[in-house]
Amino acid sequence: MVFITGPLYSGKKSVAKSWMHWEDHELEQRAVWDVQQMAAGCKDLEQLAEELSQKEVVIATEVGGGVVPASAEERMAREAAGRLACLLAQKADTVIRVFCGIPTVLKGEETL
Amino acid sequence: MVTLVIGGAASGKSEFAESLVLAAGDLPRYYIATMQPFDDECRMRIQRHREMRAKKRFETIECFTRLEQVLLPKRGVVLLECMSNLVANELYSPDGAGDCAIESIQRGLEALRSQCQELVIVSNEVFSGGSSYEGDTLRYLQILARVNRMLAQQADIVYEVVCGVPVCHKGKGRTT
Repeated sequence: MVFITGPLYSGKKSVAKSWMHWEDHELEQRAVWDVQQMAAGCKDLEQLAEELSQKEVVIATEVGGGVVPASAEERMAREAAGRLACLLAQKADTVIRVFCGIPTVLKGEETL
Repeated sequence: MVTLVIGGAASGKSEFAESLVLAAGDLPRYYIATMQPFDDECRMRIQRHREMRAKKRFETIECFTRLEQVLLPKRGVVLLECMSNLVANELYSPDGAGDCAIESIQRGLEALRSQCQELVIVSNEVFSGGSSYEGDTLRYLQILARVNRMLAQQADIVYEVVCGVPVCHKGKGRTT
């Protein structure tokens, strides 16, 4: 599994497509994105990470870089998103961070 | 040559960008300032920065909207700071380009490139603090992100500045 992360609107899905040589419909079938939103309220992040990692590409937006949110609910959601991302990165063969549309491989072999 | 310097608030991106301009050698230096002075505090801050840059022999040119109208007296090095202000001005100023902000900025960049030897552009990283935004904030983030990606694609060198340390994502200096 390839785990792709990076800031909001940094071009993660575009990188996924070019990395995997996919068209749009392949991305829809074989990848999952915005998984940071699935973490909120999830009882078992380990189980969620395991399920997600059945996909070929898993994409999460980095959400932990701002000020601590005022609401407890948002704090928990942000915390869960970060932990899920760590679990996914552990399971992944390749971890890519995208910054302004530019991929950097953080883990695994560079193949592009 | 076009260099993009991106970083969060107080990451040291301005200082690093200035150092790139100084390293470009003994050429005329222009600073394109995009921050609109809304009150006295702004004006004092701007004045102080202007004097600091004057010592480094920068000539300051203000541009709040319509970058394409900037005319540089000589061919030299340009530091444009900051793209995040320019995007906000184009979207929300009465004389901004509104929905045509991206196209306006693109035209402005082409005009600048044709007039200078080196172009250094500073932009802001504001995209790691969450993923659910609405209304004007969402619109602003989407447009600024598109502008940043466009700049990164066109730039020869892209740096992300982290705690004052430049991380090279593209061009000479990229390690992986």
